[in-house]
Amino acid sequence: MDRRTFLSYNAAAVAVPMALTTFSDAAKAATRPEPIDFTSNLPAPGSFPDKWICGSESLMDNTDPPVQVHWYNAHTAILRQNKAYSYEAPFAPLYFGNDRVLLLDEGYTSLRNDWDLRGVVDECIAHWCARNGRDPASLELLVAFSHLHDDHYAAVNQFADRPNTRYMGLTHEEMLGFWGMTNFPEERVSLDLGGREILIWGSPGHVISEFAYYDSYTQILYTGDMFYRGRCYISFWQPWLDSMKRLIDFVDTYPVTHVMGCHVEISKDGVDYPYGLTWQPDEAPVQMSVQQLRETYEYAKTVPGPGIYFTGTVFLCVETRSLTTIDVNPYSYS
Amino acid sequence: MPQTPNSSINPANPRIVNSATSRSFPNGNPALGYNRAGVRNTDSAVPLHPAEPVVHDYTSDGPAPGSISFRWAYGSNVAAKNRDPRVQVVQYNEDTFVMRENVCVHWEAPFTYLLFGNKGALLIDSGATSNAKYYPLREMVDALITRWGQARGRAKVPLTIALTSGEDVAQNQGLSQFAGRPDTTIVPPPLALMKRHYGLAGSWPSGTGAIDLGDRVIDAIPTPGTHKDGVSFYDPYCDFLFTGDLLFPGRINISNEGDYVASLERLQAFAASHSVKWVMGGHIDMMFLPGKHYPRFATYKPYERVLEMEPELIAEALQYAREARGQKIMLIRPDFILFNGISPDQRTGVWPEGVPRINPPHPF
Repeated sequence: MDRRTFLSYNAAAVAVPMALTTFSDAAKAATRPEPIDFTSNLPAPGSFPDKWICGSESLMDNTDPPVQVHWYNAHTAILRQNKAYSYEAPFAPLYFGNDRVLLLDEGYTSLRNDWDLRGVVDECIAHWCARNGRDPASLELLVAFSHLHDDHYAAVNQFADRPNTRYMGLTHEEMLGFWGMTNFPEERVSLDLGGREILIWGSPGHVISEFAYYDSYTQILYTGDMFYRGRCYISFWQPWLDSMKRLIDFVDTYPVTHVMGCHVEISKDGVDYPYGLTWQPDEAPVQMSVQQLRETYEYAKTVPGPGIYFTGTVFLCVETRSLTTIDVNPYSYS
Repeated sequence: MPQTPNSSINPANPRIVNSATSRSFPNGNPALGYNRAGVRNTDSAVPLHPAEPVVHDYTSDGPAPGSISFRWAYGSNVAAKNRDPRVQVVQYNEDTFVMRENVCVHWEAPFTYLLFGNKGALLIDSGATSNAKYYPLREMVDALITRWGQARGRAKVPLTIALTSGEDVAQNQGLSQFAGRPDTTIVPPPLALMKRHYGLAGSWPSGTGAIDLGDRVIDAIPTPGTHKDGVSFYDPYCDFLFTGDLLFPGRINISNEGDYVASLERLQAFAASHSVKWVMGGHIDMMFLPGKHYPRFATYKPYERVLEMEPELIAEALQYAREARGQKIMLIRPDFILFNGISPDQRTGVWPEGVPRINPPHPF
């Protein structure tokens, strides 16, 4: 099966054969639960937590789990790495379909004995399967990431020996090949998780190798590090502006409930949490509205050149080479 | 390399003269062995069961011997899994202790110093965490004082607590743990009260104050510049200069460039008239690779530089502080980095000439 057929392959149709030839096949089909309907009554309701686990004053006294698992709804989990395990504390959605599970992003700690992301994902899949009467072995896991930065793929090797798993390679070409793209970034491909459609297209600007992911079931638009509640480090201005335009065009035509980024680096009151901070007691929610995306785009169009700008929702660090100088020395005196 | 006990002059420390005719052993004759008659199982200069309070002789030519023979606990890749001591104690010599807060309790990982004299003890700085559950500084200090008191046959050891800066939240947070402690004098942190305590109300920032520990008199030298209430301390027994945030192997944020240069000049003049073995700062940010440093909030620092700085670095800091004056600049040197008038987040592409640039691996 090549990449193209893999993307549009309807596994459910193949799994339930038209003609049942043997008794065991018939028994299997009889016990197989009805496929979940991911296409009616959209958007599927769901909720974000009021407060995420957000580090602690003393890190060695942190007793929170390495990964916080929040079930947005019955078929969608959102994972977040504990700040005491990595200050980057990225978020990682886990989307379930009838045939496949999609994991986006794998945190900033690589070793399984440091944090068992693989175990957490396996547990989520086992729970979901138990709730829905499935066999975990029948589900394929797709391990992908939003963009080619180590705080988003560090734990990818934990999945290398997992059966029935495909994981994204760590080069631009492999990333495009994974989604079968030939015209990056404009081309929008559709991934079928088994009745649940994920739309994927290029979103360069923070880095070149970045995607935007839209889940048609929850209608969450996942924008990675290109647009998130914090300091959007924009390495390539024009590609980023073009990517924003693509996002705006998308939300003009598709319904979007939430726009979600990979990190939170800002407080509820818009105060910047400096790079590397491991305790964010008043952090802002991870989800943003379409309105906030539109406002940011309008603001971005007026940005005169390199520098740091606060749009009211996010900081735009325009071609500052990952530099943040929002902070001042608190002890300065004259 | 085998040590040659009869080498004539130690070039690093010309005060210690070993000649065939006039031998001088400022800190004890090594030929006499470690233990006094009647003392067992210890190399201490203090008798094992003193009948009366031991009076130690703190006079010595040159710095009192001592060593930092351990490397500092440097945090861990996953901070939540760190199980190192919350307060790491290194005994430099029998009357001098260096303590460090665990990097995974607070990323500033400040150093505090506990010095003993015949009449009392001095705690310099108090760490970055007030919660004694996370950072049991008081408990550790109490234990050290009790043990030291037992060894010296003293039931009461009055404690003085002084800060290199009253306003620095990386050094004043532990102070609250000592509230209400008996036999304790805390140098008041507010600038005006602190000046009055040292008797410097009229002369600040010139002049020096003194803290008498009993035959070991610690000088308090006003050194504003990184903090407006900055104070450095000089210990004439170990010949240490405790400089806090003013000069340490790390990212030095200059808060007032005029004061900073003036304080380094004052420190240099002081070092010229006093013997200084090491400058001991309040933190370590540098790696052992020249000019390379850990960013703020780092909780895993396996390539950390050693704490102690040679006194020659005062002159180097002064030279580059003068150079940085009037500029908004981040100035990298092999053993420290100066930030003048800029954000502590600032980065620079300028690398100092003649310094090898070695990039360490980045574990994650």
